[in-house]
Amino acid sequence: MVMKRPVALLLIFLFSALIFSGCQKKEDVIKIGVAGPMTGDQAKMGTDFKNGVALAVEEWNAKGGVLGKKIVILIEDDQHDPKQAVSIANKIVNSGAAGVIGHFNSSCSIPASDVYNRGGIPMITPASTNPQLTEKGHKGVFRVCGRDDQQGKVGAEFVINKVKLKKIAVIHDKTTYGQGLADEFKKFVEKDVDVVYYGGIIQGDKDFKTVLTSIKQKKPELIYFGGIYPEAGLLVRQAKELGINAPFMSGDGTIDPKFIEIAGPKAAEGTYLTFSPDAKKIPTAKKFVEDYEKKFGELGPYSIYAYDAANIMFTALKESEKDLDTKLSERYNEYAKKNNRPVEKLTKDEKDNIYKILLHEITIEKLHSMEFDGALGKIKFDEKGDVTTAPYVVWITKNGKFEEFWKP
Amino acid sequence: MFVQQLINGLTVGGVYALIALGYTMVYGILELINFAHGEIYMLGAYLGIIFLGFFTAIGLTSYSLPLALILTFVLSIIFCSSYGFTIEKIAYKPLRNAPRLSPLISAIGVSIFLQNYVMLTQGATDKVFPHLFEEAGFEASSIRVTYIQLFIIAISAFLMLFLHLFITKTRMGKAMRAVAQDKVMASLVGINIDTVISVTFAIGSGLAAVAGLMVAIYYGLVNYSIGYIAGIKAFTAAVLGGIGSIPGAMFGGIFLGLVESLSAAYISSEYKDAYAFIILIIILLIKPSGLFGKSHDEKV
Repeated sequence: MVMKRPVALLLIFLFSALIFSGCQKKEDVIKIGVAGPMTGDQAKMGTDFKNGVALAVEEWNAKGGVLGKKIVILIEDDQHDPKQAVSIANKIVNSGAAGVIGHFNSSCSIPASDVYNRGGIPMITPASTNPQLTEKGHKGVFRVCGRDDQQGKVGAEFVINKVKLKKIAVIHDKTTYGQGLADEFKKFVEKDVDVVYYGGIIQGDKDFKTVLTSIKQKKPELIYFGGIYPEAGLLVRQAKELGINAPFMSGDGTIDPKFIEIAGPKAAEGTYLTFSPDAKKIPTAKKFVEDYEKKFGELGPYSIYAYDAANIMFTALKESEKDLDTKLSERYNEYAKKNNRPVEKLTKDEKDNIYKILLHEITIEKLHSMEFDGALGKIKFDEKGDVTTAPYVVWITKNGKFEEFWKP
Repeated sequence: MFVQQLINGLTVGGVYALIALGYTMVYGILELINFAHGEIYMLGAYLGIIFLGFFTAIGLTSYSLPLALILTFVLSIIFCSSYGFTIEKIAYKPLRNAPRLSPLISAIGVSIFLQNYVMLTQGATDKVFPHLFEEAGFEASSIRVTYIQLFIIAISAFLMLFLHLFITKTRMGKAMRAVAQDKVMASLVGINIDTVISVTFAIGSGLAAVAGLMVAIYYGLVNYSIGYIAGIKAFTAAVLGGIGSIPGAMFGGIFLGLVESLSAAYISSEYKDAYAFIILIIILLIKPSGLFGKSHDEKV
């Protein structure tokens, strides 16, 4: 068969394009994925993540980076959508990142953690508090924040011991985080307090008057909500409109100035939430708070967690260097033996691959074994990847600002 | 409790009805489902924030709140009507003789365009509408009604009555009914079809603007994607009442609001969005033309 010349030329052209794209230049940098909601109604949380990590990267790069390479960040947007989270997790794994800081929502972190686990890369979330995340037994999954069972317990203690209430209503937004937190709170509070209403709302909905009318009927002394700030703000506002005067309490998903703005300063006054202690009052965080505020303005609730997560990741990477040197040649030999080839015959790609897998393994090992000095204080992970100490306190909204209020 | 839920439902239902009217009027005349209609509602809410912000900046709001609000409403209606008018000219008119699917796809395109346009210019984060009448309302035997709720119910009722009179009593209304019955015959007796269609789009968009603005005041929270779910709900309301029928859309909207509110209260609040669609499926199975729709032979 004789092909017409232009067709043949075209075919050559098309195929050669694929060949060229297959051998792009490999840059010599350490990539760190930052995953969270960068757009949408929770975009502020994603930006806080990004800024916290960026500050850490800047400090490390000024000192020469890690493993002799500069650090670059790979920002990916999960739009607080679990499907999107899995897709960007795959993207991060395929990009050859050394680790991931993310995600924000537990509903995103949990499915994404499966992907990172399969890719073998370590993941540290600054904010996902659902217990399930570290209960799955993935070795490379860590979090620098607390867990909802710890958080729910502190909330319950507050209700039982401090404000001493007897009748409460519990609502949640049906997400992994919201329902998880509400369930943990309910579990701890139920022994001493009567839960007169328990039900869900829809995330993204704007009208909660029907739920609140049903709740008003039951006359609770406090309304507990597991969810994020847009719904929390609307709930507080509409509860006041319906003449419900019971105080409102929620978890760390509500700590955002937008909550007060949506609810209205008057309605938000006196609402409680559980969160970790004020970063501005932690002595070790002083330098971080100054640097961050100079660079990005107001400190976000999770900025310090993102910063610490990044620092922990980089420290672990740095500490991996020695083990890496001793074990690398061993791994090359093993691999060569398995494939019946001398070590010298291994291709660069094969070597790179072995290096990458080994680096992930050692980093994860270091993350488990080391103790880190973070802006939050000393941080050590237990065998599940949770922090060994997770202090939660109760905050209150006062004069349009969040304030630390009660310590268990 | 029942009365309270009824009032909650009526408020939401009034808003659904206002949006549903836009769907049904356009369908009645062009047999086109204008999927961009929900975005007009969203634009109304955004324009409200912008104009009210402007009036606050020049000090009109503190001088006289009612005046600032009336001006905000009027300007939003004018702007949204112009949006509706322009969308018809750009996206639907050139396709008037095309197969029926083409304008439908064009409508979806306009909807996506408007959403992204607002997202890019106004940002993806939630916008907070200023708190105008915080918690203002009255309470009678444990039933609490806010003035905003009363305002929404009253304005919806007034606009529906106004529209009804407009359609039945004026020359333009008569022309609209004629075009809805038969476009060719209407043009033969001297009705300018283009004008009628433009007026239909302008009125429908104006109603959506009012709905959007009222919702922004009521909930105090607006984002670029609110048009989608509101549009789908209002479309359901229009189909429920019989698409093409104006009393049908009014009834459908209010009925949908009540069903949502009462079923969320007495069955479960977790599936609030589902009830509307369950009702829709039941109605379509029993009476496919909708409650008020007339079944007619398929023209195509």
